[in-house]
Amino acid sequence: MKYAKSLMLGSVSALTLASGAQLQADDTIRIGVVGPTTGVFSFFGEQQRMGVELAMEQLSDRLDERNIEVEFYDSQGDAETTVDRLRAMESRDDVDLVIGPVLGGTGLAGLEWAQGSGMPMVISYSAPEDITMRNRVENVVRAGWTGAQPMFAFGRYVAEELGHKRIVMVGQDYSFPYNQAGGFLKTFCRAGGESVERIWHPTGTSDYSSILATLPEGDAVLYNGAGSDGLAFFQQYHDFGLDARMPLLGGSNFFAVGDLPEMGEAALGGLSALQYAEGLENDNFVAFRDAFREMHGDDTMPLAPAEHGYVAFEMAVKAIESADGAERKAVIAALRESEMPDAPRGPFHLDDYGNPVQNIYINEVQEVDGRLVNVPIETYSDVSQFGPFDPEEYLAGEPDSRDFPPGDCSDPYYD
Amino acid sequence: MKRERLLILAVLAALVAWPLLMGDYAVAQANRAMIYALAALSFSLLAGRLGWFSLCQTTFAGISGYTIAILGVRFGLPFPLVVMLALLFTTLSAVVFGLLTVRSRQVSFLMLTLALGQMVWALSFQWVDVTGGYNGIAGVRLPTYGGLDLNDTRVFYALVAVTTLAVFLAVWRLYRSPFGLLLLGIQENEQRMRALGHPVYLARFVAFVLAGTISGVAGVFLVYDMGIMSPSPLGLGHAVWVLTAAVLGGYRSLWGPALGVAILIALESLVAQYTDRHMMVIGLVLLLSILLMPRGLADVLEQRFKRKSKPLASVTTTNRGDES
Repeated sequence: MKYAKSLMLGSVSALTLASGAQLQADDTIRIGVVGPTTGVFSFFGEQQRMGVELAMEQLSDRLDERNIEVEFYDSQGDAETTVDRLRAMESRDDVDLVIGPVLGGTGLAGLEWAQGSGMPMVISYSAPEDITMRNRVENVVRAGWTGAQPMFAFGRYVAEELGHKRIVMVGQDYSFPYNQAGGFLKTFCRAGGESVERIWHPTGTSDYSSILATLPEGDAVLYNGAGSDGLAFFQQYHDFGLDARMPLLGGSNFFAVGDLPEMGEAALGGLSALQYAEGLENDNFVAFRDAFREMHGDDTMPLAPAEHGYVAFEMAVKAIESADGAERKAVIAALRESEMPDAPRGPFHLDDYGNPVQNIYINEVQEVDGRLVNVPIETYSDVSQFGPFDPEEYLAGEPDSRDFPPGDCSDPYYD
Repeated sequence: MKRERLLILAVLAALVAWPLLMGDYAVAQANRAMIYALAALSFSLLAGRLGWFSLCQTTFAGISGYTIAILGVRFGLPFPLVVMLALLFTTLSAVVFGLLTVRSRQVSFLMLTLALGQMVWALSFQWVDVTGGYNGIAGVRLPTYGGLDLNDTRVFYALVAVTTLAVFLAVWRLYRSPFGLLLLGIQENEQRMRALGHPVYLARFVAFVLAGTISGVAGVFLVYDMGIMSPSPLGLGHAVWVLTAAVLGGYRSLWGPALGVAILIALESLVAQYTDRHMMVIGLVLLLSILLMPRGLADVLEQRFKRKSKPLASVTTTNRGDES
């Protein structure tokens, strides 16, 4: 009975506390950072968090001057929890600007919420293109990328530099890989490619023997996916000896540095494309990487989500400074004008739709100081989320899906 | 009887006072709590009356949510119509699922509902043309009637509160009705009920469909609360969350599931404010409360309540002493 009583008391006081209207009316400016710091995708949220923490340390004088406070929220990688945390930020914690969410689905849920709320939001790593395209809203900008963006450069590179004509693409069956495939096809086909045959498998597949045994002939295979699926595919691809027949290319996250030790030397020479590379050697990046590893430990390599969080935070602080406060309209206007000439990944600015126009690196897996890392071997500069295409025409077209755009490059779509 | 009325009045008063006294976030939290209380009630109707532990009750909420998102956003059907169609379609799905599961028991029922739930989840994830896949369908909004925006947190609260209350009262009546007692009887001794000439399978089937429809109501509010329908509410995590809330609060009583949901949501948002290890804390609380109160918090409170007063009518379930 005692327990029941204390539990009752506890829950009642919990409810009261949780609901306490803590709206502070002072001149503190609050930035809320939301990302999955627990759950299956906590890696991405932790990276963002570490990036923001580094930016906080480096900008601490400017934060003090403006009286800026930062609060971290855990989205658990779940759309509903994300919306709940965003509501808490706005109506409980008096947050003035949001950084995040990190994942695709939570990004779209966050966008839906932001549309109703009007809160200034800098989306960091979340990549669905409609966040800054068909569903774009004035108060939301992005510091990261769209799924198609790096693939615009990769499609061209594979057709023009590698000279491949026919690609077999095996990918995870959901919207992010569709978007990556879409970007790839749209430039690959126009740069001399002939066909891309797509084979989709459900996420969480661990046995690829049926796919590998019946793999069509092509000049190269592109694995359009990442994570444990990608790792399993990579290993079985080599077990089947297919690497001798067709080289294996990767989607943007396939040769993620965390997976490289497990892929081992077989990964050497693996090509993929991203707006980021841990093997960049320019001064801004090296300074960022060294500071990051000093702060978070030598074994922690900053990846794209960390850099995007870091940059998103800097964009937010800059916007608050140039708006001279946290007045929403002014902050949003300043955010949309963001120019980041010194970003670690390379200079970028936002397009009219709020997405970075930035360098895309063609990365090769190389061994540097005994570690496998992605080293940029080619840079395509000023790539926008629309690639080489006209924004209005692009938006009028069909969104990428399982089987759009067409896989046959002779299709009238490509004329 | 008098005490029951008092209790209902107290609940009513709290429901009215909450949006008047509390901040926006607390009201939004209450909305979520009521939505999940409906889902947990749907779970408890089967678990508490029939001993059927279902892992597909949130699936019905998801089916209802997807129906609204697809018909409302893709086809532009008007608001009251999509809600009716959603409930209709959810009930139909419950009929189909019910036909498949009605003869199963215990573990096989659990596994069947798990399989069905996961199938629908996979469908929502992969049938991209219809469901929007992983990205879902955005822009699900309630309309504005003559300047009254139904999406406003407090207006929405009124809608959810009235509906939730109505559903709970209906289930309360159901539990006390001959049909409700028949369900208990089936759980107690199926053979005897059959021998007495009761249509056991039919009763179970009806209960299953009813529970599905209640979950469908939860789904209606769930999708309008989020503004976006994506596969995540159909995932196993949410099903287990509802199960946890119902067990914590006590699935054998009417109001136990609501209590469990309220405690879990309050715990989550409270603990998450202070630590990233909130799952550990919540896990520990769950562990302790299930060890100490295996029949749920509501049961403990009711026992206490009863000792001081005359026993209630058949509101509480059987007192079979130490059953496992």
